[in-house]
Amino acid sequence: MSVTYIDAIREAQETLLRDDPRVFLYGQDIATFGGAFKATKGLSEMFPNRVFDCPISEDAMIGMAVGAAIEGMRPIIEMQFADFSSIAFNQIVNQAATHYYRTGMPIPITVRLPSGGTPGSGPFHSQSMEGIYSQYPGLIVLTPASVSDAYHMLIDAVKLDDPVIFCEHKFLYRWLKAKSINGDHLPIGQARIIRSGKHATVVAYSAMVHEAVRAAERLQQDGWEIEVVDLRSVKPLDIDTVLASVARTGRLLAVGEAFPWGGVTAEVISRVTEEGFHLLDAPPQRLNARDTPVPYHPKLWAAHRPTPESICQALRKLLAF
Amino acid sequence: MDLHPITDGVTKSREFLRSAFHSMLYARIMENKLSSLYKAGKIVGGVYLGRGQEAVSATLGTALVQGKDIFAPLIRDQAGRTAFGEPPIDCIRTYLGSIEGPMRGRDGNIHRGRPADGMPAMISHLGAQVSLVAGMLFARRLLGTLGDSVGATCIGDGAASTGAFHEGLNLAAVEKLPMVLIIANNQFAYSTPNNRQFACADLVERARGYGINGFSLDGTDLMACTSVINEAIRLAREGQGPQLVVARLLRLSGHGEHDDGFYVPTDVRNGHYGRDCIELAMRQLVENGIASLDEIRAWQDQISDDVQRAVAQAQQEAAPDPYHDDWTALSTRFPLPNNQPAALPVLS
Amino acid sequence: MPTVPILMPQLGESIAEAIIIRLAVAVGDPVRADQEIIEVETNKAVMGVTTLCNGVVSELRVQEGVSYSVGSLLGLLEVTAEEVARTGVDTFESLEAKRSASQTECPARTEANLHFALDGDDDYEEAPAVVPSVKGLPVPTGTMGAHYISPRMRARMDDMGLREADISAVAGTGAGGRVTVEDLERFLAYLEAWPSTHASSMRLAVADAMRRSWTRPLATVGFPVVMDRLLEHRRTHSPKPGLTLYMLRAFALALAENPTTAGYLIGDKVVHPRSFDIGVAVQIDDGVLVPVMRKIDQKKLVDLISEYDDLVVRARRRRVTEEECSGGIATVTNFGTFGLTLGTPIPLPNETLILGIGAGVKKPVWSSQVEAFLPATVAEIFLTFDHRVVDGGGAGVLLSRVSELLQTPEAL
Repeated sequence: MSVTYIDAIREAQETLLRDDPRVFLYGQDIATFGGAFKATKGLSEMFPNRVFDCPISEDAMIGMAVGAAIEGMRPIIEMQFADFSSIAFNQIVNQAATHYYRTGMPIPITVRLPSGGTPGSGPFHSQSMEGIYSQYPGLIVLTPASVSDAYHMLIDAVKLDDPVIFCEHKFLYRWLKAKSINGDHLPIGQARIIRSGKHATVVAYSAMVHEAVRAAERLQQDGWEIEVVDLRSVKPLDIDTVLASVARTGRLLAVGEAFPWGGVTAEVISRVTEEGFHLLDAPPQRLNARDTPVPYHPKLWAAHRPTPESICQALRKLLAF
Repeated sequence: MDLHPITDGVTKSREFLRSAFHSMLYARIMENKLSSLYKAGKIVGGVYLGRGQEAVSATLGTALVQGKDIFAPLIRDQAGRTAFGEPPIDCIRTYLGSIEGPMRGRDGNIHRGRPADGMPAMISHLGAQVSLVAGMLFARRLLGTLGDSVGATCIGDGAASTGAFHEGLNLAAVEKLPMVLIIANNQFAYSTPNNRQFACADLVERARGYGINGFSLDGTDLMACTSVINEAIRLAREGQGPQLVVARLLRLSGHGEHDDGFYVPTDVRNGHYGRDCIELAMRQLVENGIASLDEIRAWQDQISDDVQRAVAQAQQEAAPDPYHDDWTALSTRFPLPNNQPAALPVLS
Repeated sequence: MPTVPILMPQLGESIAEAIIIRLAVAVGDPVRADQEIIEVETNKAVMGVTTLCNGVVSELRVQEGVSYSVGSLLGLLEVTAEEVARTGVDTFESLEAKRSASQTECPARTEANLHFALDGDDDYEEAPAVVPSVKGLPVPTGTMGAHYISPRMRARMDDMGLREADISAVAGTGAGGRVTVEDLERFLAYLEAWPSTHASSMRLAVADAMRRSWTRPLATVGFPVVMDRLLEHRRTHSPKPGLTLYMLRAFALALAENPTTAGYLIGDKVVHPRSFDIGVAVQIDDGVLVPVMRKIDQKKLVDLISEYDDLVVRARRRRVTEEECSGGIATVTNFGTFGLTLGTPIPLPNETLILGIGAGVKKPVWSSQVEAFLPATVAEIFLTFDHRVVDGGGAGVLLSRVSELLQTPEAL
């Protein structure tokens, strides 16, 4: 008996619908059909009038969720793909994200973004939007990498009073399996050191955590001990855990699947150099996707995003400094 | 004089018209003061007047019931805000940046509201409030608290061109929500005239495409506003879904007080919709014996005093203090306590 | 007819630009291949810019006396198509076409600033290596080398109060031979086995001053002095002037004649002496103090004796104030008192010069007057100088003048 990442997300939503009458689900094809990725499978039958299909209107979906939150609800909005949230960008960053600061009334909405690339998904079904949303004040941006985090963090996200951008990785949906959804259940905003080491620190999140661990396993054969930090939440960013790790290793590589200009990896490196310059024994490195749209062909796609090979290469360069 | 016939009960109408007109007058006098404060350098950013739109806005605000209905005002809805029950000091404080105002200096001018009291605070991105009001109504339906309450918002002819307007109105129609959407077609979106904004003869034609009721009216005529808007609200309350009301009028000011509106042609200015809805309403009220000139003068004096007092008060109030602001956009305070349960042994 | 660009060549590895000294040709002049047509000067040399082929100068875009960066378009030659084919040169037109194709996004470059890429087509097959550059020129990666100290290493050294000089003994295992924290820790662990004591604060102060001074390119020159007349002069005076006092006075007079030699270089500025105040190095327990004698050029030797004696006595007892030890423009040291005949003293970090004297030695000295070797007491004097400010020639002139003055002590 095993649980996949997508099962965990479905389970979390079932738990939330069962335990909190303020929760409802709103999204495209999520009711009878159960969602493009089946993250809401069976929920509309279990919870009549709590799970709704909506028009293909991403802007209105979020505007509507903000209105519902004002009235005391805790909506979970499923974007069919993270990429399409760009249509809702205005409502997310200007309506939802500014509301608490402006009016003092928090907006507890959770926006689920099926994120990241899978082979063949192409430019418009593969994007990683966490960096863009993290740039805006007033949003919490979560990027679970494990089955248990997918479950616990989604439940925690809905309980938070602020708007949460919940970035689920599509590649992990069915590929990632665990024995159960039990985990250590760290609070939101805390990173986790998932592999300890002493020669270099890799900071990663979402699917890249798994690629980083594979790279670390390969380098272990050469005697290198690589520490891997899973950010879990990219905003807030748990820079303390990152700094503590860099203090042990003196070397930092930040890995992300998003486009290379700015973003989470740049933020990690900027914060570490600002606050922990004296801890660094080598120039910190970043590894991101390439600066092109996400390509369709699996071969191009595999070379577009960081892989265990490219992470190993970046680490070797870092270790050789 | 094309007086619109009063179709409602006479007493109710008398009170409604007196109340709506009072709000129109209030908005006009308060906005004149704001304009003056802006031109004296007391207000930063901008001042946006509802001059010419008072009849439509006040009618809507008067017809809605605070504490029950939802009103999402937009840029030129001072009259509606006042009619709905927004304390005038909220307006003055927000324009002057007082820490005591609802936005506490964090946002200004017309970007204010009290969402907990059914009046959300607008954002500048046009059309965005349509889906927001839909969401508020949707939530009430889910919570079982909708009853016969309605939600209303106003937008301009320009905002009707946005995707958000379409998405929001379509969603409200799909969900059959009791929403009243008023388009104040004041003929110019900032400086852009109607013929560069839409190609249909009248925006009300769009109602048909959304499968909802549409009304078109002369927004300079308080009587017409009273009968049509009340009707639209009644239909929404009855459960007939969203109602689209298009009011034809003319903005009697620039986009903001930084703009003199030179681009409005003289013949449009001097045309039918260039008439001042307040002057017309005053004549209508006096000629129908609904209010006397003396009464109206007394209201004017009273309102001027009120406004002056509010300005005096807000000017003396503290400005926000950047050194003591909490500078956070989140209500959640991180780091969160780590209250995880003790690890359970894994059974296999 | 095609044209061929005349480009500013890369005249030396680290040269970024060169000044046009002379245009040897004018527009309209025919030129041969390999003819030097423009004379340019870099900060190292004067060289000629040559032509790549036969042609006629059709355009000159530069002025004499102005500096242009490497790769700049200096002018154009009109060249026949046959000549282009013969020599295989790139024509201006073909370079322009390539350039605009590769840089369509920034077409707004001014002509005066034309800059042709030295490398050919972009090749993205391999991930391009990062070329560290200063103003677009490749910098040898070796500049990072052994002297690069990472922030972490720097922080660890700061914690321990260590300086670069302290880790000079550590062989680095990092990139370019840099010393890593691990290297340092291994070295410190190794030192644990050795006996050690705490350095005194005087020792640390001297160490700090010497370390800072040593960051400059210091050079030392020597010159002999026949001491007999000076020793005689000294014997006949009461109270006896100290030997070092003669040095102070001679040094001050020589410097007053040529004060720029004692200038202090800071950035692009040479700071000149305000007054000829010179310090004297006094050896004390576990260190050196350098009290300063003021305006030595303005007093006769004999009038300086008591001031000098007082200062030296107090210095030996460590009774001089900080003020008395500051403001000097140079220093004199007499290591001859230790019997040493040769030394390369190090100037204070805020001074450009230090003058030293070794012990006098009886030697035969050739006298051209009597055409014979005569016995004499000869001492060597040494001048260490900051080579950024003074060159060997200037130092030699100064030193021989000091020697001359020391050999005519009655004039002091």
